[in-house]
Amino acid sequence: MNRVVVIGAGLAGLTAAADLRHAGVDVIVLEARDRVGGRTHGVEVAPGAWIDGGAAYLGDRHTDLAKMIADLGLKTTPTTMEGRSSFVLGPERIVREGRFPPLNAVALGELFDGLDDLVRRVRPQAPWQSDIPDDETAADWAVRTLTHPDARTFFPLFLGEMMAADPADVSVLHMAFYLSSGGGLRYLNAFEGGAQDSRVDGGAHQLCERLAAELGGDAVRLDSPVHAVEQTTGPVTVHAGGSAYACDAVVVAVPPALADEITYQPGPVARRTTGRTAPGRAVKVHLIYPEPLWREQGLSGWSVNAAGPLLSTVDDSPVGGGAGVLTGFVTGRAATRYAALTPEEQRREAIAQASAIFPGLPAPTGFHVTNWVRETYSRGCYAALFGPGDWRVLGPRLSTPDGRIHWAGAETSTEFFGLMEGAIRSGHRAAARILAHTEPSRNQQPPLSS
Amino acid sequence: MSVEGVAHIFGRVLEVGDVQADADFFVLGGDSLLATRVLSAVARDYGVELTFDDFAFSPTPAALAARIASVR
Repeated sequence: MNRVVVIGAGLAGLTAAADLRHAGVDVIVLEARDRVGGRTHGVEVAPGAWIDGGAAYLGDRHTDLAKMIADLGLKTTPTTMEGRSSFVLGPERIVREGRFPPLNAVALGELFDGLDDLVRRVRPQAPWQSDIPDDETAADWAVRTLTHPDARTFFPLFLGEMMAADPADVSVLHMAFYLSSGGGLRYLNAFEGGAQDSRVDGGAHQLCERLAAELGGDAVRLDSPVHAVEQTTGPVTVHAGGSAYACDAVVVAVPPALADEITYQPGPVARRTTGRTAPGRAVKVHLIYPEPLWREQGLSGWSVNAAGPLLSTVDDSPVGGGAGVLTGFVTGRAATRYAALTPEEQRREAIAQASAIFPGLPAPTGFHVTNWVRETYSRGCYAALFGPGDWRVLGPRLSTPDGRIHWAGAETSTEFFGLMEGAIRSGHRAAARILAHTEPSRNQQPPLSS
Repeated sequence: MSVEGVAHIFGRVLEVGDVQADADFFVLGGDSLLATRVLSAVARDYGVELTFDDFAFSPTPAALAARIASVR
């Protein structure tokens, strides 16, 4: 194996590239954007203070991510939450201790019983073999099983927060799989001790920036959207703009919808999506204040709001001070609507809502929207959402190479699917598979042109 | 009222073995999400709908059984 082209400079692609380079392989990473990072993205909210516009959180089970953070000389910071939470789930605003919403606890218990039962029945390594019918959506399931109005109020909020899904988007099988893959209901839901235990100090975007820097030189080519991959009897040729790159193997490490837009010749390769596959629906909003002003009122910054658009908010202020950052999550159906607003409307709605949640909060000094729904080179966030029937069609070949084309990305990992950890594991897996099949190449060639 | 019955619910939800009558749910690793699952089981088994605050103030099998008895 002499040369590998990696398509996509997100966590999956750069992980694969780093592993291959470490093994002595010549690697070129082609990235469509003018930046690396994929669905991690840093936003500078005050001079030198960066926060996560994209993927942000990690927990102790994210072992490959933890190793990468340490190897790259980065640190984590805990997502501590002190103070009372605010809830706007009905006509009144309710402030209380803890993150537990002021809804009927028995109704929520029945919801979680139902979800727990699904998580137990799913086969996370092969969801399509689970004893769960794959013909209904999570919305169908909710109508069929949730009787209490509070459970019906809370379910879309929960699913939006967990997987950025409108219940109508996902199959009940995919919901069960996602919850299981991420470590189960409790782990995925929890901050302290769970999947949101920590953040990367200074922003998760630094991971990809440092991986790219270590690859060095011109290994990472930005502004290079790939449109075709040709597998001939000789080298594989990857076409990006006017350039063609000859190589011995390719790692496609872009989200499923984008992977499907590449032309593969002679083809066909296994499809990455179906007509039922939906984009993850998430918009992340950051309201910036001189300091975390809500703390003065004994509030944690955590809120849950049924009407949206900010379905939940969390205090993401940088550890060293310098700014108060309130992060708002707009997910699921609310994100579809919010993503289509003008920037001015987005700003007005978010600020109006922040003042309703935290009375007395002044206008923010800064405002940032990261609209993943409209990101051409992500097509949604957190991850692609599999609809009814998708697992049966897509699952068996999720990570199976097509000839010399290898698949990576957060949606190709049945472990921690859709999360940074899943992306990294998929990158390691793709690289290991290529290295395991290394043979002396008879076709060592330079790029055809550049 | 059955302290043993409530202890059994604790054990099943927490996925631990025997739970003592005076063992605190949150010390045993419980959280608010799992607490709701205890409350749904209590509603099913005893026909009593308690609130999360009821549970937070009575987080042991003995205390919760007494709470159930008091509202039945």
